[in-house]
Amino acid sequence: MTFFRFTWKNIWRKPLRTLLLTVCVSVAFLIYGLTASFLAGAQGSAGSSDDILGVMSSAGRSHPLPLALLPRITSTPGVAAVTYTARLRGFVGTEKNVVNLTATDPDALLAINGRELGLSADLVGALGAARDRILVGRALADAQGWTVGQQVALTAFQTARQDGDRNWRFEIAGIFEGENASTDTYFMIGRYDYLNAARARDKDTVDAFILRPGDGVSTGALAARIDAAFANSASPTRTQSEKQFLEAFLRQYADVGLIIDLVVGASFTTLLLIVVNTMVFAIRERTFEIGLLKTLGFSRWRILSLVLGETLLIFLAGGVLGLALAKLGAGIAGPALGLILSAVVLAKALALILGLGLATGALPAANAMRIPVTAAFRTR
Amino acid sequence: MTDRHDPAPYIDLKGIRKGYRIGTETVSIFADLDLAIAGGAFVAIMGPSGSGKSTLLNMLAGIESPDAGQLMIGGNRLDRMGEASRTAWRAHNMGMVFQFYNLLPMLTAAENVELPLLLKPLSGKERRLRTEKVLDLVGLAGREKQYPTRMSGGQQQRVGIARAIVADPGLLLCDEPTGDLDRKSADDILAMLGFLNRELCKTIVMVTHDPQAARHANRVLHLDKGEFAEERSAA
Ligand SMILES: Nc1ncnc2c1ncn2[C@@H]1O[C@H](COP(=O)(O)OP(=O)(O)OP(=O)(O)O)[C@@H](O)[C@H]1O
Ligand SMILES: [Mg+2]
Repeated sequence: MTFFRFTWKNIWRKPLRTLLLTVCVSVAFLIYGLTASFLAGAQGSAGSSDDILGVMSSAGRSHPLPLALLPRITSTPGVAAVTYTARLRGFVGTEKNVVNLTATDPDALLAINGRELGLSADLVGALGAARDRILVGRALADAQGWTVGQQVALTAFQTARQDGDRNWRFEIAGIFEGENASTDTYFMIGRYDYLNAARARDKDTVDAFILRPGDGVSTGALAARIDAAFANSASPTRTQSEKQFLEAFLRQYADVGLIIDLVVGASFTTLLLIVVNTMVFAIRERTFEIGLLKTLGFSRWRILSLVLGETLLIFLAGGVLGLALAKLGAGIAGPALGLILSAVVLAKALALILGLGLATGALPAANAMRIPVTAAFRTR
Repeated sequence: MTDRHDPAPYIDLKGIRKGYRIGTETVSIFADLDLAIAGGAFVAIMGPSGSGKSTLLNMLAGIESPDAGQLMIGGNRLDRMGEASRTAWRAHNMGMVFQFYNLLPMLTAAENVELPLLLKPLSGKERRLRTEKVLDLVGLAGREKQYPTRMSGGQQQRVGIARAIVADPGLLLCDEPTGDLDRKSADDILAMLGFLNRELCKTIVMVTHDPQAARHANRVLHLDKGEFAEERSAA
């Protein structure tokens, strides 16, 4: 027997109680794992850039802007590079399998966003070989099981071809990886010239201009300058950083970050109360035994660490289980929802497991440590 | 009361005072108790209920401390030690046997016995060998994996004794070790204590109500109203 085995045997004295505690802990960490992945993922704004600006119609996202604005935007002082995008939203196979294609000028995109998306000159070159070629993000490719050279049939929700057909065919020219795990790669990049020529309506319009400010240029000031320039034109604009845009987009629903903090905080507080309460009672039931251990020569610190060991073990088991489930969930629903259970999230979760395990064990352990040997014997 | 045959008694109590506070009053158990026990002795302490036998034993175990007086065991002044040092002292110098065995129900016989060895710097293999040896000594070879709840009282008390001696302490303190046993099992346990005293030179202090049990000791003390009333030395 070892101290570990002794702790283990203590834990399993009341299997149901231990099981329920472990489930409690795992549910709390499942919630934590999923919400933290959400915040860390592309759906959250953490992975998005603060120094790339998007110019959209001030009337909203669904109102296109004329491509003709390009020269004026390009010549605005402080702008280093500009590209433009049109979105093709649709599905592949079943209607639930929603995918997005961003049609753009590939060379300009490389200059602006190449690093973040993990684009290379080779990839962009492959895109240039034929008009119906696309690049697919790693997350999307993995989720759909697509490989380079494969044909993709996308049914657009709105954008029809000139013959009225909403079915589009593309060939995968390459896969882009994204700079890191938090980069959103659940989309495709196509060629604007092709989309624009083939579509029946909205010709020569774009959904957004994407621009990179020159070095040392304040993004806020540049955004204001652009919006001022078009304020009284036929197509007034709204310019935001990618991050601002995503944050504003999420805030449409509510302050997601705050809600998530509240949910996670509430679940951990409840967990703390449940486990502390249960452990305090579990230790009180063992008052006599703890006195006995002390007569056998177990020091106060050994008693303390035995009790702490019990809560830590329960937290480790439950926490790892919960995180594993979260990882599984992020893997299944992940790319589409933008869930990313990153190493940072995992490290934080591990710190939480240890911290909460110790915190919940502290009170019962301190109680156990303070049990006087004689008092223990008099309970008989 | 001193043992004149031994110039340096193993257990030496001088002027022990001990009382319990009950509300505002202090009930005195011992006012001025002296006791000397030679190393290797087997002492039985008898006396009416409430006379302070368990209190005395607990003081010898360093579980309770006297209010005043000197409490020396094997050259250590227990009355001057803090709780932590007394706990450490217990781990190495003393084994305790209880009336109700006090075994941990979720541990097997062997694991119960091994428990005190966790406090020693021994390898897992050494611990196992020692555990097997003492279980063999108390006649429980082959029952290592049995749980105490499945054992008779006599067997449980053997496990209790094995646990008390596994760390090889010089002193065994037994509080009514046969109080819960039938005659036959009680005699077995008493014979075993006699064996440990004679063959392994354990100093044993045993509290008992049973005059038969006292017969196994080589010295019997009668405690009454906080004092030793009489003494009978066995042949
Ligand atoms: N913690 C305590 N607080 C108050 N009184 C106590 C405490 N412990 C013991 N006593 C009292 O001290 C006296 C001696 O108790 P002790 O347990 O030593 O007696 P005992 O001789 O072992 O009796 P028994 O034969 O019934 O076991 C009793 O009157 C008991 O009520
Ligand atoms: Mg008693």
